[in-house]
Amino acid sequence: MTDRLNNDFQFIDVGRQGPKKIDAEVRKQGFGEIYQDFEPADAGEQSHRCLECGNPYCSWKCPVHNHIPNWLKLISEGNIIEAVELSHQTNSLPEVCGRVCPQDRLCEGACTLNDGFGAVTIGSVEKYITDTAFAMGWKPDMSKVSMTDKKVAVIGAGPAGLAAADILIRNGVTPVVFDRNPEIGGLLTFGIPEFKLEKDVMSRRREVFAGMGVEFRLNTEVGKDISMQELIDQYDAVFLGMGTYTYMKGGFPGEDLDGVYDALPFLISNVNHCLGFEKDPADYINLEGKKVVVLGGGDTAMDCNRTSVRQGASVICAYRRDEANMPGSKREVENAREEGVVFQFNRQPVEVVGDNGKVTGIKVVSTQMGEPDENGRRRAEVVPGSEEVLEADAVLVAFGFRPSPAPWFADFGIDLHDDGRVKAPEASAYPFQTTNPKVFAGGDMVRGSDLVVTAIAEGRSAAEGILDYLEV
Amino acid sequence: MKILSKMGISTIASYRGAQLFEAIGLSSEIVDLCFKGVASRIEGARFEDFQFEQGLLAKEAWTARKPIQSGGLLKYKHDGEYHAYNPDVVNTIHEAVKTGNAEAYQRYADLVNNRGYATLRDMLGLRKDVQSISIDEVEPVENIFKRFDSAAMSLGALSPEAHEALAVAMNELGGRSNSGEGGEDPARHGTMKRSKIKQVASGRFGVTPEYLSNAEVMQIKVAQGAKPGEGGQLPGGKVNSLIARLRYSVPGVTLISPPPHHDIYSIEDLAQLIFDLKQVNPEALVSVKLVSRPGVGTIACGVAKAYADLITISGYDGGTAASPMTSIHYAGSPWELGLADAHQSLRGNQLRGKIRLQTDGGLKTGLDVVKGAILGAESFGFGTMPMVALGCKYLRICHLNNCATGVATQNEKLREEYFRGTVEMVKNFFRFVAEETRQLMAQLGVRTMEELVGRVELLEILEGETPRQKNLDLSPILSTEGIDAALPNTCQVERNTPFDNAEMNNQMIEMACESIDNKQGGTWELNITTCDRSVGARTSGAIAKAHGNLGMNDQPITFNFKGHAGQSFGVWNAGGQNLYLQGDANDYVGKGMAGGKIVIRPFDEVTFKSNETAIMGNTCLYGATGGKLFAAGQAGERFCVRNSGVHAVVEGAGDHCCEYMTGGMVTVLGETGYNFGAGMTGGFAYVLDMENKFVDRYNHELVDIQRVHTENMEAYKNHLRSVIIEFTKETGSAWGQEIIDNLDDYIGRFWLVKPKAANLNDLLTNIRSRPE
Repeated sequence: MTDRLNNDFQFIDVGRQGPKKIDAEVRKQGFGEIYQDFEPADAGEQSHRCLECGNPYCSWKCPVHNHIPNWLKLISEGNIIEAVELSHQTNSLPEVCGRVCPQDRLCEGACTLNDGFGAVTIGSVEKYITDTAFAMGWKPDMSKVSMTDKKVAVIGAGPAGLAAADILIRNGVTPVVFDRNPEIGGLLTFGIPEFKLEKDVMSRRREVFAGMGVEFRLNTEVGKDISMQELIDQYDAVFLGMGTYTYMKGGFPGEDLDGVYDALPFLISNVNHCLGFEKDPADYINLEGKKVVVLGGGDTAMDCNRTSVRQGASVICAYRRDEANMPGSKREVENAREEGVVFQFNRQPVEVVGDNGKVTGIKVVSTQMGEPDENGRRRAEVVPGSEEVLEADAVLVAFGFRPSPAPWFADFGIDLHDDGRVKAPEASAYPFQTTNPKVFAGGDMVRGSDLVVTAIAEGRSAAEGILDYLEV
Repeated sequence: MKILSKMGISTIASYRGAQLFEAIGLSSEIVDLCFKGVASRIEGARFEDFQFEQGLLAKEAWTARKPIQSGGLLKYKHDGEYHAYNPDVVNTIHEAVKTGNAEAYQRYADLVNNRGYATLRDMLGLRKDVQSISIDEVEPVENIFKRFDSAAMSLGALSPEAHEALAVAMNELGGRSNSGEGGEDPARHGTMKRSKIKQVASGRFGVTPEYLSNAEVMQIKVAQGAKPGEGGQLPGGKVNSLIARLRYSVPGVTLISPPPHHDIYSIEDLAQLIFDLKQVNPEALVSVKLVSRPGVGTIACGVAKAYADLITISGYDGGTAASPMTSIHYAGSPWELGLADAHQSLRGNQLRGKIRLQTDGGLKTGLDVVKGAILGAESFGFGTMPMVALGCKYLRICHLNNCATGVATQNEKLREEYFRGTVEMVKNFFRFVAEETRQLMAQLGVRTMEELVGRVELLEILEGETPRQKNLDLSPILSTEGIDAALPNTCQVERNTPFDNAEMNNQMIEMACESIDNKQGGTWELNITTCDRSVGARTSGAIAKAHGNLGMNDQPITFNFKGHAGQSFGVWNAGGQNLYLQGDANDYVGKGMAGGKIVIRPFDEVTFKSNETAIMGNTCLYGATGGKLFAAGQAGERFCVRNSGVHAVVEGAGDHCCEYMTGGMVTVLGETGYNFGAGMTGGFAYVLDMENKFVDRYNHELVDIQRVHTENMEAYKNHLRSVIIEFTKETGSAWGQEIIDNLDDYIGRFWLVKPKAANLNDLLTNIRSRPE
């Protein structure tokens, strides 16, 4: 037995220290996760830095309102199993959130200690809790659940769908999850590169869910392999968690040149290539030895940057605002920079230039920061006469995603907003019910492309709505 | 149960039937059946409401899929109990005060003002159907600032930086800051950093004549809204050398103020304390802080008749994290009730025009100010909000000394590197609140605060959402029934001048003023009667104001009195004032004395034995910080309670002698009462125990006793001898002479009493290192 940690001044005496990060030169050689695991003693020491403040800003800021101070305390006391149970009370995929959430904008950004002391390493502890508990053989306890005869079809095995399935099965309703891909996770598996989230995390999670009673129908696309009508007929309710897959375009000349790629196909092809899911070797976009310019400043742009680096490209990231106004996680920018990505801020692309139909460069103009827009981010204003061409063999466009409504939505009375998002308000008698009473929806397709954790929050909340609707 | 014990009730049997608590929000059908006789002023929940709510709860409890709620009673939880200082509120006000952005303040005010029904005042809305006026016609913010005080938070609870920033901000705005009960560094006196309100609380920490003579308002804290029935509590970890010096205590020792003032057991005692304060500093106003509770109206009338100038009615919804949870949750009452009660009672008894009313307790916005004014308050105390404006994030760890914002800690690293509060932030907060107040006044068609006070017709009672809320009857709060409308709603006089104009003190100051101004000594002879109260306080105050507590030590002024002294003889005696009295004295001799000498001996003509006769009353030397007192006779009960530096010799004492003592030296040449040395954490005492009774009489919890005649105690023996010689020389006591003459016979009967934690070798060194 070690002595229980009891130091009111731990947050001063012990600095913020995350788990070790693999050296940039080494990690560039492969696609493995770059953060190592916490040692139990370190996890305890770091968790004990939490002040247990009266206003847990972390939990307040967290979209799923994790009981963060409570599980930090449990970890500082060495109680893994209690911590993992508590963590799963509010989150269906804590080990994923611990890896991919932009904690510096959420819990850790709001942490009281983020004011000069260094926030508590909430994300790493969250990951540590679930990974360690799984390694100890822990499984969610389903013994108290009495199953009903109700069944719900869940379309999409991304974070929203999985979160909904988790809540449903824990309340005795059998979810059957349909996904067109060969593995669960949606963009967690196919979009997010492995150096952020190794794919055995999702396969382990699939086994856990299957063990809980969730049924998966993978490689099954609704509307193609099975019709929506069948689902409506055979199930008590349907949940849509289909995400947003339409890429935003820059709208400048030359976007159709050879060597200009959208972010998502590039990322997906890389994952497929690495995991052996490749259907056709020609799908793989290989940037080895190329000069790549990545356009955009969000997390997807960072994923493109760092994947390109690992493929052996030299990478410039051009973004039209300055660093302070980047939408992505600061941590990812830092990681990309360490791995050799060159950032050029205040550069707005105006034209992709090419020769013989092939990209040779990208013309950019300089910008300066103006007044904040309606979202509070400062606008980028073009500096006249500042055009310049950056040389490039390949251009990756990562401007974000727009909704991609399925063609059959209208047939089932599922109404959309003007921008293509599904109408499924949270604030209604049954949260996230669409205009078809039997159909619920959540995640990016409802709110527009956003974080993994918001999709989880909506999936969970929609499942509650379904349970209320089914009167379970 | 915990609260009962804090109120000083030690056994359940002694509580039974006492009905000390108030029912808030219970209908009369329940009160009459279950709690007959308990005060309940505003109606509220009926049995059917409880049944309905239990039904809801049971339904949720029996729904297997609903998890057990994680609560949120103590800390903010999403979907849990509403918290007035939730993260949204704290973050928006931080943004507003840092940037001075009015739009951010508006968001904050909306969050607070539209929070739903969290307090009684949320159930009172401003009338919409009144003729509004242009905001330009409303009095300027500067007039409103004068009505703003920061509520009492001591230096000790707050870091010096935060405490000073509050003081400077209030002084620059024209409001007043409150020192709290931890004294004030003399270096701040007379500067922008001083606190205009100096608090006098039960612990009397740092309450010296110099402290009082530098006040604009002296506030007697009878109790505190967030923890009625309890004194302030400062954990040992926060008592560093500065705090200890200002409080005349020892670093590292937890300082707990006793629940009562040991000199206030009745309204007459309070009147005496008010008189004492007005004597020591005749220019300052005296304020009395009361808590909202049933009957506070009657108490307020008593306080007005006791010649206080201000009354603060403190509500339960303030209180920082240093207040115990149980007290915040279960002990206080809302200020709305107490304020209305006090205002109505004062008017009904034609006393409202003599005294100013203030309220505090969780005030956050201009709307709170306006509602407070309408219910009768002329000025407003803000406690937690200015602290939040300084950067406090409501962490509720104030008691641990590890406040990460540097506001409520004495840790140097946290204070230096992480305290980011500025004077401007506090000023921004008050400016926003005053502006909002003006807007609301314009909306109500009111030009000045003076006009607004007591205008209950400007409020309407809102219906409420739940059946419980709907059944509340708030009309008693807004009632003006039975009160002559012509009676004033506000204070009409500059100050509430006492009936007793203190002839003796006037005479003394006239005699001595020149000597004090020129710092030259002098001796005067006077006759004294029991009508002469607080004798010496005026001269003490004058000395302290001109030269500090001990500045006249070298050129003392001496008064020789003959007769029977009234109460509070030598109260707050300053260094350089020596009072000799032939005769006897009443209660409170030398209360709060900081220096100088008080010597009392019987008339030359008497035939009784001085050591068998009382020569002064109860509660002498309460809260004294220095000086010497020699009395040839017995003292009453509670002698030397909260003594932290005085050197006293008497010939006998009553119960509770040396209770809560933190410094100084007491010699009792005779019998003592029970409970000697309870809660004593510093200083030491000699007790002559002729009858072998002392072992049963002292309180064994914190002190131990030992003999003085043993070989290793030679130093103490010599010290004791010198103490008795000095005593005998000053008083001419026959009993003292007898002991000196036969010391070898008596020495074996003396005990040395010291705190268990104190080292025997250090006691004498400590006492000699004291400046007095």
